[in-house]
Amino acid sequence: MPSLISLSGLHKSYFNDEVETAVLHGIDLEIDTGEFIAIMGPSGSGKSTLMHILGFLDRPTAGTYTFLGENTAGKNDDDLAAIRATKVSFVFQAFHLLPRATVLENVLLPLLYHPGIASIDREKYARKAIASVGLSDRAGFLSSQLSGGQKQRVAIARALVTEPALIFADEPTGNLDSASGLQVMEVLEKLNAAGHTIILVTHERTTAEFADRIVHIKDGLIESDTSSHKRRKAGADVKLK
Amino acid sequence: MNSLDLLTAAFSGIRTNTKRTAMTMLGIIIGVAAVVLMISIGRSFESYILSQIDSFGTNTMDIIPTGFEKFGGNLESLTIEDYERVKRLSTVEHVVPVIIVGKPVGYGREERTPMVFGATESIFGNYGLEIDQGRLLDSADEEGALHSAVVAYQTSLDLFGNRNPLGERITIGEESFTVVGTLQSVGSLLLSDMDKPVFIPFSTARIVSGQDHLSYMTLKTVGDPDIAKRDITELLRDRHRIKNPENDPDKDDFIARSAEQVTSIVSSVTMGLTVFLALIACISLLVGGIGIMNIMLVTVTERTREIGLRKAIGARPRDILLQFLAESVALTCTGGIIGILLGAGTGWMLSQIANRVLGEFHFVLSLSAIASAFAMAVVTGLVFGVYPARKASRLDPIEALRYE
Ligand SMILES: Nc1ncnc2c1ncn2[C@@H]1O[C@H](COP(=O)(O)OP(=O)(O)O)[C@@H](O)[C@H]1O
Ligand SMILES: [Mg+2]
Repeated sequence: MPSLISLSGLHKSYFNDEVETAVLHGIDLEIDTGEFIAIMGPSGSGKSTLMHILGFLDRPTAGTYTFLGENTAGKNDDDLAAIRATKVSFVFQAFHLLPRATVLENVLLPLLYHPGIASIDREKYARKAIASVGLSDRAGFLSSQLSGGQKQRVAIARALVTEPALIFADEPTGNLDSASGLQVMEVLEKLNAAGHTIILVTHERTTAEFADRIVHIKDGLIESDTSSHKRRKAGADVKLK
Repeated sequence: MNSLDLLTAAFSGIRTNTKRTAMTMLGIIIGVAAVVLMISIGRSFESYILSQIDSFGTNTMDIIPTGFEKFGGNLESLTIEDYERVKRLSTVEHVVPVIIVGKPVGYGREERTPMVFGATESIFGNYGLEIDQGRLLDSADEEGALHSAVVAYQTSLDLFGNRNPLGERITIGEESFTVVGTLQSVGSLLLSDMDKPVFIPFSTARIVSGQDHLSYMTLKTVGDPDIAKRDITELLRDRHRIKNPENDPDKDDFIARSAEQVTSIVSSVTMGLTVFLALIACISLLVGGIGIMNIMLVTVTERTREIGLRKAIGARPRDILLQFLAESVALTCTGGIIGILLGAGTGWMLSQIANRVLGEFHFVLSLSAIASAFAMAVVTGLVFGVYPARKASRLDPIEALRYE
């Protein structure tokens, strides 16, 4: 079985007014289904850039990105949108909920763009996702009426609802106090235990340690790739290169 | 997104800021209301005028010395002999010679200056005038050149108030006349001039005015009015020794004007007016459309992060484009429906007022105006929504999500 994600020699540069900013300088990385991996590094090291490429929000400048055994180089914008709709999803630091919509409406949103789920089944999926983050009693609330921790859990439910192969979380605790942050990380941990693949991007050591594997990035290169010293899952197989 | 999703998204989009939505729609509402109102009023007015003209019958024709209207009836090209010859044409049912006597009408100390028509008795039938009290002029009045007068509704009121006018003596210039009848009101503002004249026998008018030529003739044709008109024109040109094969109206010393012609003039005037007003209404719709575009651009900017998020969760550029297009069309359609109701309602109200004033004024709600106004609203939404929607659909998701 092929890896979920396989990167080789991945480069990314931004071009603004002919000025090239090189951010990633050749990343090689394998990620398997079921992993809980943290990408760590100082601010500006290229973590989010890498995540955007992995999540099909952006394209690499050079190198190959193989996703589920398929080279993604030839894909057009609509193909990438279709992958985002069905295979991957995101949890952002800033939550990005629609403030005037209810929790349920926010969680329903990704299903609008998911071709495989019939309209009549949408609410069933959404309620299941809301239940799995423990917010069933808040389904009818406007998202603006929730606390930060609750908002992030709604965002996680929204990420779950399409049952993606892979969930990205970019600094999910960055806007939260430590208690809510802990709660959010416990939800992610629980999801991983239930079989979801999670790629966490963070610059915080304590947050990263919820993951089974930590990849350090510095100046656009992988500096280290280690299994977390804190082994919480008995028998979990840690991949090291 | 299926079409139901689109519709839901569009209306929830315009619901989020109802006050601003209402302000934005105002331009469209006014534009659409104006289109519906203007066209409906134009149609109503046209049908009113046409029905008024129809009450004469379209086979009515007036023969007027050219310049009659400009110079107050002093042109002398039409003679009594002309009248006698026109009368004999087979395409003319009957013809009424008219001399307008330019003298004031007095009763006691009251004096008025209505038109005084010296005409044969068929003039009443020709103009659809009906007797109220007493009798119309008859052949005995004509043959005896009697000093009998029939007074139209308004002048009768002015002179006699609520006194019985029958048998009263009035003066026309120096001459004394006996009132033998009064007329019913024609009951319409447009024709209210016909509520004023005083009618006396033609033979009497000739004597009183000392005038031998005709102020004009009015007649009813038989069969095709165009053929009658050609017969009359040929006859009169022949009699007046006018060679005018090219039909240049400046060469003739008379014109034959049929009610049908007036009808088509009225139609083309009201049509022109309607088109003009509708054009103005379209301009206001255009302005409304620019308002829509502005507000949609503001909406796109305000919702940049929402657009970024939608893209992140799988919306294609096309989905975003359709969503914002649907929103602007939803805006203009809602505005359009309100505008149609407003325009039709206002038109109906105005026509009720017009009905009181003019009588017989019926509201013609133009369905084609409604359909085209609605279509214009939809098109406005599409045309002015495209630019903001394209802008939204082309946003880069990462930058959109980062937008503050
Ligand atoms: N669109 C862009 N244009 C130019 N430079 C960019 C752009 N996006 C990110 N960068 C730069 O790339 C580097 C890495 O950014 P990012 O991946 O966001 O870092 P991290 O998430 O690790 O903090 C930073 O120096 C940032 O300034
Ligand atoms: Mg970052």
